[in-house]
Amino acid sequence: MDADIEEIREKYLNLDFDEKQFTIDPETTIQYATLCGETADRFLDANHEDFQAPPTFVASLSGGRMLPKDFPRFGIGMDAGKGVECLQPVRPGSTLTGKTHLHDIYTKTGRSGRMIFVVTRIEFYDAEGNHLVNSDSRMVMRERS
Amino acid sequence: MAIKTLDEVEFGVDLPTFVPDTSLAITTKFAKLVGWDGPRFTDHEAAKKEGLAGAMVPGILSQGYLVAMIHNWAPAAEVLAVDTVFRAPVIADEAHTITGVVTDIDEEDGKVEIDLTVANEKGETRVFGTATVKLPKLPK
Repeated sequence: MDADIEEIREKYLNLDFDEKQFTIDPETTIQYATLCGETADRFLDANHEDFQAPPTFVASLSGGRMLPKDFPRFGIGMDAGKGVECLQPVRPGSTLTGKTHLHDIYTKTGRSGRMIFVVTRIEFYDAEGNHLVNSDSRMVMRERS
Repeated sequence: MAIKTLDEVEFGVDLPTFVPDTSLAITTKFAKLVGWDGPRFTDHEAAKKEGLAGAMVPGILSQGYLVAMIHNWAPAAEVLAVDTVFRAPVIADEAHTITGVVTDIDEEDGKVEIDLTVANEKGETRVFGTATVKLPKLPK
């Protein structure tokens, strides 16, 4: 791994730099599920005994910032992908706390030069402190030549 | 036929093809719902001025289509993880299909891994991803 990347990994990985509260609105999660094409009742019917937000709903929730304040700017960032890891269902009507940290930083080198990938992870917790779900955003920055 | 339990799943089997509604009306509604109502998601002409081929389907909507496809195939499937790579824009009002294939089965833990692809009419991959789901096991 490149020395500069190794250095910023050591400085930034796994340190929370943002915290934000989210109220999960049942009408919004139902609309979200409907527009995605979900057909299972547990995502569409607020009276269902296992009513829950669709698994990827948390991908729509953004923290206060994507990167730590003093993170180096390698170039313009583009959305390279999303990931969700579900540990427990998210219940509409609840309030979640999202804590953000950098989960991974790595590079790929192509014909056009080095690209830096940064994975920002928001960990979501319920009011009792139970860890429910992780939402990862993968950003790619093409290094300025 | 919808899959109910793990024993009904075979390694290498294709999931039924899923045709998502990528109409501009739907994608605009979605973009507004999640607060991403910039013109690149809601207006073809404005998106073209930004250098795109047309208004884009938000990436997280494509991710949502992948999970909906899994639930159409196996309604009881519990999605444990889904990782999605946005390779190229999915353009609204263009037809897309989603395909999926079972690439691993963990009989012990009841987990199934599925590779998923969103492709346009030319067969070009726009989004791909992998999901891990848990299915109920038949009682012994």
